[in-house]
Amino acid sequence: MDRRAAFFLAAALVCAALVPVSEGFAWVAATLSGVYLVLALGSWLDARSHRRF
Amino acid sequence: MDFAVIFVIAVALGFDYVNGFHDAANSIATVVSTRVLTPRIAVVWAAFFNFVAFLVFGTAVASTIANDVVVQSVLSIGVVFAGLIGAIAWDLITFWLGLPTSSSHALVGGIAGAAVAKAGFGVLITEGLRKIGVFIVLSPLLGLAVGLLITLAIYWVFHRNRNIERLNRGFRRGQLVSAAAFSLGHGANDAQKTMGVILALLIATGHLAPGSSTPVWVVLSAHTAIALGTLTGGWRIVKTMGSKITRLQPVGGVAAESGAAITLFATSIGGIPVSTTHTITGGIVGVGAARRLSAVRWGVAGRVVWAWVLTIPGAFAVAWLTMQAVDLLS
Repeated sequence: MDRRAAFFLAAALVCAALVPVSEGFAWVAATLSGVYLVLALGSWLDARSHRRF
Repeated sequence: MDFAVIFVIAVALGFDYVNGFHDAANSIATVVSTRVLTPRIAVVWAAFFNFVAFLVFGTAVASTIANDVVVQSVLSIGVVFAGLIGAIAWDLITFWLGLPTSSSHALVGGIAGAAVAKAGFGVLITEGLRKIGVFIVLSPLLGLAVGLLITLAIYWVFHRNRNIERLNRGFRRGQLVSAAAFSLGHGANDAQKTMGVILALLIATGHLAPGSSTPVWVVLSAHTAIALGTLTGGWRIVKTMGSKITRLQPVGGVAAESGAAITLFATSIGGIPVSTTHTITGGIVGVGAARRLSAVRWGVAGRVVWAWVLTIPGAFAVAWLTMQAVDLLS
């Protein structure tokens, strides 16, 4: 797996893990988790397309 | 107001000065490393925006520090003094080592350590500490994400532009704005922590009623102290932040500072004490990660993370020891 995608995925998991303990600010952790998931997916697709061509 | 209170307020303002000296270096690191401003002009620029931050932001962070870290009944002149000594000592140790740690978390660790030494762990307010703890992790990730997204947006908007030199010139000017915004956020979030300590002290000693808002003279003196600290500067840390994590071009400087500034604005309005060091580090890593992950020097970034992990326990321990000494002497 692409290292950058793995890093973003790890960040998404960390943010998701903080959702239950972020009383009042859970939406910040959840939104950030979503952003990092999208970045992980984008990064993975980018690396995959580079490998193909 | 008796001498002891005035003395501890002076120590608090001294902490604010050290905070400016230690942390404000981060706010000018990118603008200096990209050679947009000379170091001398950069510190004046940053100090000015540190100072005027009181005109833009409220005092929600000060209220969090005063009310949400330890129960107010445990606060006394000795506790606040020991907490400040813990935070200042930790800041100076990490400054000497060239580590970009957080003065904010040193302050929280220091106040918590001194309060625990006086009355045990029961005095800690878990809800407030949890909010601060969650944002220790979230603030750099927020700065990183925003910095990265701004970088991608800039690349997307300007990808057809072939005149790189002209583009860089434009972003060099843009960096003046982003550096100013970051310094504004830094002044807002960091100066308020000192205001919070002074507010807690004034309430604890009966000079203000519980629940009072921060007096104007406290706001002005805290902003003056941090601005003076910024003017003095701290070059060891500028070097670490500005060039060792990843090499920055003006476009990267704009993205990193804007990402960090947005994070600081949002957290200042939300009353969350975060570290300017954390947010700008996140922003710089975000810029590096937008290019490729290998552009980030992870060894340095890892050293920074270790410093973050150790900050609260380190300041806690120094403050705990100081409180024991204060108790013995009194």
